[in-house]
Amino acid sequence: MLTIKDLIVKVENKQILNGLNLNVRPGEVHAIMGPNGSGKSTLSHVLAGREGYEVIEGRVLLNGENLLELTPEQRAHKGVFLAMQYPVELPGVNNMIFMRESINAIRRARNEDALDAIEFLQQVREKAKLLQLDEKLLKRNVNVGFSGGEKKRNEILQMAMLEPQLAILDETDSGLDIDALRIIAQGVNSLRDPERAIILVTHYQRLLEYIQPDFVHVLVNGRIVRSGDKALALELEQKGYNWIIEEDAA
Amino acid sequence: MTTAQQRQQQQRDWFQQLLTRSDVSPDSNMAWLYRLRDDAKRAIKTLPTLGSKQEAWRYNRVNDIFDINFDSSSDFDNDIIEPDINDYLLPAFDSYRLVFINGHCATKLSDIKQLPEGVTLGSVKAGLRSMPEKMIHWFDRNHQHNEYMFTALNNALFNDGVYLHLDRSVHLDRPVEVIYLNNNHSQSAQYAGSMIQTRTIISLDVGASATLVERFINGSGTGNNETYFYNNVSEISLADDAELNHCRVQDESRQAYHLSSLYVTQKKHSAYHSSNLAFGGAWARTEYKVDFRAEAAICDLNGLYAVDNQQLIDFHLDVQHRAESCRSREHFKGILYGKGRAVFDGRILVDKQAQFSDAALINDNLLLVADAEIDTKPQLEIYADNVKCSHGTTVGKLDQQQMFYLRSRGIAENEARKILCQGYAAEIIDDIALPELQKHVAEKLMHALNKNDPGAGGHDGY
Ligand SMILES: Nc1ncnc2c1ncn2[C@@H]1O[C@H](COP(=O)(O)OP(=O)(O)OP(=O)(O)O)[C@@H](O)[C@H]1O
Ligand SMILES: [Mg+2]
Repeated sequence: MLTIKDLIVKVENKQILNGLNLNVRPGEVHAIMGPNGSGKSTLSHVLAGREGYEVIEGRVLLNGENLLELTPEQRAHKGVFLAMQYPVELPGVNNMIFMRESINAIRRARNEDALDAIEFLQQVREKAKLLQLDEKLLKRNVNVGFSGGEKKRNEILQMAMLEPQLAILDETDSGLDIDALRIIAQGVNSLRDPERAIILVTHYQRLLEYIQPDFVHVLVNGRIVRSGDKALALELEQKGYNWIIEEDAA
Repeated sequence: MTTAQQRQQQQRDWFQQLLTRSDVSPDSNMAWLYRLRDDAKRAIKTLPTLGSKQEAWRYNRVNDIFDINFDSSSDFDNDIIEPDINDYLLPAFDSYRLVFINGHCATKLSDIKQLPEGVTLGSVKAGLRSMPEKMIHWFDRNHQHNEYMFTALNNALFNDGVYLHLDRSVHLDRPVEVIYLNNNHSQSAQYAGSMIQTRTIISLDVGASATLVERFINGSGTGNNETYFYNNVSEISLADDAELNHCRVQDESRQAYHLSSLYVTQKKHSAYHSSNLAFGGAWARTEYKVDFRAEAAICDLNGLYAVDNQQLIDFHLDVQHRAESCRSREHFKGILYGKGRAVFDGRILVDKQAQFSDAALINDNLLLVADAEIDTKPQLEIYADNVKCSHGTTVGKLDQQQMFYLRSRGIAENEARKILCQGYAAEIIDDIALPELQKHVAEKLMHALNKNDPGAGGHDGY
């Protein structure tokens, strides 16, 4: 589904991704771990199409199509979804209306009928309930005054509504309390599907107890220096990153 | 080359021409009105000419106006073409309605039946005829404001307008809506457009309350290129504990000149709350002078302006705290979506005796194009020591993180831009006292932003 080949990316003239390779097939869950500043969010942003990143080399294909030449909205239409590490506040923009605009923009781009107001409302309510997200948050402005955990839940609610093909979750587990972590993990697991792929960026092994990954990758200095199964995450939890960085340098 | 002297002469001629051409009756049977007009005419001749050297007109290109000949006669009266008023009504909006066509009350299009007891509402012209004593009483006779050139012009030549008076403790059950349909009705090819002037006189007695909606509309029904000069003067006086909600939607022709001068005087515990929405006009200026004459009065001035190519939209606020414990709030937001210009000049004066004053002024501007221009100038003059005053102005572009967030959710760039603009304006729109008006204004804004949609072949945005 997703193929990243020798990706080199610069931000403000500083090279952040240094020849990154990754292959994700439908149905798989990939966890990406790595020290602060290693380039995890950069990778997420490049996949979602955020401006300000200069691709020097390499390719990114989604179902064989060059993702890099698409606008962020076109990528969303193709099924890419990024749950952001720092969800953005939109003052004056109602959360419910935002979600409806979003889902209907994507449906229109796919030549599907827009959801009518009642259908939409039913779905939102149902999914908000599943994620134990207070309905009051639906009526508020997007992320404005939301707590850290509420923002993350709101991201997952959007994901649940949009049912993406490729979901990238950038540290969605950071700042969540233990119950919230379980609830969000449930939300993610309910989206697991043979047709759908998920990339989880996380610092904590604990999330991976709830969402069992098929692969765990370690990103250091803009490259994936090691890949393994979920045992690798456990090993990282015990030993930290230094041994990998040293082995990689050797 | 035009010398400064020639410019001044041109301006004097411009005003003189309007005075001469006008067919407003001299009102010689009404001594007070006669004197008002006479004083005004004298003021026009003796006041210093207007120009960018004066602080109040510095950013305003006022001289452009004097290049255009306006026709101050109203000889169209005889064959008035009445439009279909339904074209201009807001859906399901229940109001006492007055309609003015080119400054003249169109009785047939108006509907002010079943006014509650204690409410007098109508056309100034008719009022001056049927109850001159009362009418004159409601004018602010001590303050003619002839020191302002265009107010003097209005004093000299106003012909009609609106008066609304509420007796003590009367609460108006429905809003009063005044629709001004303006276009160029000059019969003479000599003139580029018409001069239209109206007077608004609002007086609320002790403890009375009302909501007033004024909509200034290009009434030609054909395109947006009617040239006219609309000059309104409003006198608003609120007695103790009176409360007025005032909503003004300016949507004149893109070739029109609009000037509103509002003089608000407030007594003890009175509250004035206004929403000023500006969309139209080639040149549109609103001046507020708020005068707190007794303690603990409240004044909220809010506004939203959307500025397109070749437009100049200008707000001049002058709030004077001259009594103790009054509160004033000014919050104006601009969206510059074309190569136009906005001017915001907000002055707050706190006099020595006005202790415990509480004043705050905010002006925010959002530039959607690179070559728009904004001049924002807050001025605080504080002479009392125990007061709370603040001001802040911002000029910014759309936030790229917000844009990315919306786009990453599948929303196209131009849609994302509109959603953010709507969100930005929401603070002002949500504050409008009537939901029907909120909807109307939100639609107006969307309409404006749609027109210059870069996706639809407009100019570059970012
Ligand atoms: N706009 C930018 N300008 C300059 N440097 C940037 C910019 N964006 C990212 N960087 C740098 O790129 C590097 C990688 O950042 P990135 O956010 O991708 O790290 P990360 O792996 O997500 O870290 P964390 O675990 O802390 O979230 C960092 O050194 C960061 O400072
Ligand atoms: Mg990160």
